[in-house]
Amino acid sequence: MSQKLIKRGRLMMAVTGLSLAIVATTGLAADTDIGPLPKLKTDLLKAELGKRLFFDKRISGDAGISCSTCHDPEHGFSHPDALSPGYPGNKHFRNSPSLINVSHKKTWMHDGRIGTNLNDATREMITEDYTMNMDMRIMQERTKQDPEYVRMFKEAGYGEPSNGSIRKAIPEFMKTLTSRGAPFDTGKMSRSAKRGQKVFEGKGGCTACHNGANFNDDKAHNTGVPENFDVFLDPMRHQAFLAWGLFLGIENLYAQKRDPGAHIQTHKADGSDMGKFMTPSLRELSYTAPYMHNGMIKTLEDVVDFYNEGGGQDSHKSELMKPLNLSSKEQKDLVSFLKALSGDRLEGQEFVWDQAYPAEYAPIANWRKVRN
Amino acid sequence: MKNSLLKKSALASIAIAVTLVCGSAAAEMKIVSKGMGGEVNPPLAPLPPIPEVMDNKNTPEKIELGKILFFDPRIGGDASVSCASCHDPAQGWAWAEDFSRGYPGTVHWRNSQTVVNSQYMKKQFWAGGASSGMNQARSAAKGGVAGNGEDDLMEVRLALIPEYKKRFKDVFGDEWPLIRNVWRAMASFETTLISDNTPLDAYLKGDKSALSDQQKKGMKLFNGKANCIECHNGPLATDERYYNIGVPTAGRWDEDGMAQITFRFEQYAKGVTEDMYRHIKDDAGFYYRSKNKWDKGKFRTPNLRYTAYTAPYMHNGAFYTMEEVVDFYNRGGVDEDGNTTSFPQNKSKLIKPLGLSDDEKEDLLAFLEAFSGDEIEIEKPELPDYAPLFTKAELMEAKK
Repeated sequence: MSQKLIKRGRLMMAVTGLSLAIVATTGLAADTDIGPLPKLKTDLLKAELGKRLFFDKRISGDAGISCSTCHDPEHGFSHPDALSPGYPGNKHFRNSPSLINVSHKKTWMHDGRIGTNLNDATREMITEDYTMNMDMRIMQERTKQDPEYVRMFKEAGYGEPSNGSIRKAIPEFMKTLTSRGAPFDTGKMSRSAKRGQKVFEGKGGCTACHNGANFNDDKAHNTGVPENFDVFLDPMRHQAFLAWGLFLGIENLYAQKRDPGAHIQTHKADGSDMGKFMTPSLRELSYTAPYMHNGMIKTLEDVVDFYNEGGGQDSHKSELMKPLNLSSKEQKDLVSFLKALSGDRLEGQEFVWDQAYPAEYAPIANWRKVRN
Repeated sequence: MKNSLLKKSALASIAIAVTLVCGSAAAEMKIVSKGMGGEVNPPLAPLPPIPEVMDNKNTPEKIELGKILFFDPRIGGDASVSCASCHDPAQGWAWAEDFSRGYPGTVHWRNSQTVVNSQYMKKQFWAGGASSGMNQARSAAKGGVAGNGEDDLMEVRLALIPEYKKRFKDVFGDEWPLIRNVWRAMASFETTLISDNTPLDAYLKGDKSALSDQQKKGMKLFNGKANCIECHNGPLATDERYYNIGVPTAGRWDEDGMAQITFRFEQYAKGVTEDMYRHIKDDAGFYYRSKNKWDKGKFRTPNLRYTAYTAPYMHNGAFYTMEEVVDFYNRGGVDEDGNTTSFPQNKSKLIKPLGLSDDEKEDLLAFLEAFSGDEIEIEKPELPDYAPLFTKAELMEAKK
C-alpha cells in the first residue's frame, strides 16, 4: 500500500514536471486557458458494457426509464425540456445537463453535491428516489439474469455482474462521450467565431468562470438566473425538490420559494451562498438547449443577452456579473464562438445502444443445480 | 423464565383438572389438548375484541386517515402501487397468486397474507420480521420488491396534499405530515378489518347449531387425530411460533426469471454468507432472522381465519386449495409429487402421516370453512389531490 503511494507520488511529480516544461515552452497548458480537451483512455469492452447499461430501462426501480431517458443522445445527452422528466411518479426540478465531457469535470450536479468521482455521481442517479429509485441489489440480480450481461461483464474483466462493476462500466462509457470535431478544436472557426473568441476572452469576461479545456471552473456562482416557478407550482416537481432538500438539510424547507443551489455545500447562515450553481461547460451547446440549471433561457442569443445585461436580479449575485455593453455585432460574434464549441453529433452505434433488450427475464435453466 | 414455566405447568394441571371434573361435556368440546412439550394448547376460542395498541390508540379520525392512505399509491416509489395493490380487498385483502405481485418490474417471493385480523398478530410477516402493524406497514412500503418507497419522497408528497396536511395535523398535531405517522394511521385502520362473525365464533359462543354435524366431526379431528390444534390454537388459530412443516420449494423458481432475480436479491439483502447465497434454492424463513441453522425452513404459523378468501396457502402459495393442504398434512408434510422441504433436518416432529380417511378429510375441510365469515368489502376512499403550496403571486413577491 505505502509502496504504491510512493510510486504514485513519484509519477505525479514526473507528470507535473513535464507539464511545467510544456508551459514554459508553449505557454498553452495552464489550467485556466481554453483549449482542446485531453484524450481519455477508455477500455473498449468496459465502455461497450457501460453503453448497454446506459440505455437499459431495467437499471431503474420500476424498469420504466434508463439513463438515456433524461440524457438523450438526440439532445447532446441532455433533455430538451426546461426541467428534466425524473422518475415515473414524480418529475425533476432541474434541467438535465449534457453528459458530453462529463468525465472532464471534477464536481457534478448543478449544486455540486458530488465532488468525488463519476462512480459516485452514477450511484447517486441510480439510487436517488426522484431519479431512478433503484435498489442496487435488485439491479445486480437483474443483470445476472441476462446472459448477454453475464458474457459482457466477464469479457470486460469484471467477473460476474455486480452493482460495483455497473458503477464502473457506466462511467467508462461516459468517458467516450468526449467532444470531437468542434471548429474551435479543429481550427476551422468562422471569422465571426474568431472575433467572438476575442470578446469571450476580453470584453465579455466569460473566461472568469468558463475556462480550461472544458470551459468551466468547477465552482459555483450566482448569476441571478430567474427562478423557474414550475418547480414550485407543479407538485410533481416540487416533491422532488422537497425530497432533495429534506435529504440535504435545507432549513425551513416548506417555506422555500427558490432553489438554494450550492448552498447545500456551504450552508452559510446568512444565506449569502443561496442561488449559486456550478459553472456548466460550454461545449456542445448547439444540442443542449434550453440553458441554465433550470432551463429558463431558451436560446444562446438570449443567454448572451442575459449576460450583456449583467445577469438577473439577486441580492447575492456575483460581483463578476455586470453589464458588458456589447454591441449587437459583438453579441452575434460571441454566439458564433459559442456555436463553434459544438462538435460532431455523438450518434450511431459508437454512442447509442441500438439493439433490443430481452422483453422478459429468461429463467436460468436447471436452476436448482447451478450456482447462484 | 423459569418462574413463568412453573406457572404455565401449574395452569396446565388446573386446566386438566377442570376437564376431568367437567367430564363428558368438556370432553366433547375438547377445550384443552396436550402438546409435545407437555404444555397445554389454548383451545380455539371466539375472537375477542382487538386489544388497544397502547402506543397507537385509535381514534375515528386516525382510522379514516389510515384508510385513505392504505389505498393511496403515493405511499410507494413510483406512485403506482398502494398497500391495497398486494392486499386487495377483492382477493381476501391479499393476492390470489402463489407469490404476491411486486413493485413494477419485480415479483415478490412470498405469498401475500391477508390484512383481515392481522392486527391481532404479534408476529407480522411469514418469518416474524415485524413486531407490530406499524412496522409491517413501513417495511412493506419501503421494500424493494414491495412498495419501494423512500421516506423523503413519501413524506413530502403528503405535504403537497392539503387534505392530508389538515388530517395529519388534526390527528397527530404536527404542522407537516411525518412519514412515521403514516404507519400509525395505517395500522389503526387495519385494526378495523376484523372477521369474527364466523360459524366457529357462533358455535364457540354457545350456538350449537352454528356448525353442521360434519363440521363438528371435523372439529374433533382438528383437535384430535389430525392434531391441527397443536399449532393452530387460541382465538386466532395460531400459536405464532416457527415450524418447518415440510412445504417444498416453489416450483415457480424453476421457470420464472423475474422470480429468480428476487430470490437472489432476498438472499443478498438478508445478509447470508456468500456460500449460502451461491447454493441456496429455497426460502430459509426464520433462519434469516436468527441465523441458526436449525431455523432454516421455519415459518410463523399463520392464522386460519378468513382462509376461505385467501387462497393460495403457505408462505410460498404452494397449494391453491384447502384440499391440497389437508392432503399435504395427511401425507406427513409431503406434496402429491413426493416433495418436501429443502431443509428436511429441520422438519417438525409434529408433522407425520395422519391416516385420515377420505370421509375424515371431508369432515376436516368442512370444519375449516367455519373459520370464515362474511367477506369484508369496502368502499374505496376518494384520494385527495395534490395542490401547489404557493401561488404564482407569492413566488413573484419572494425576495431573492
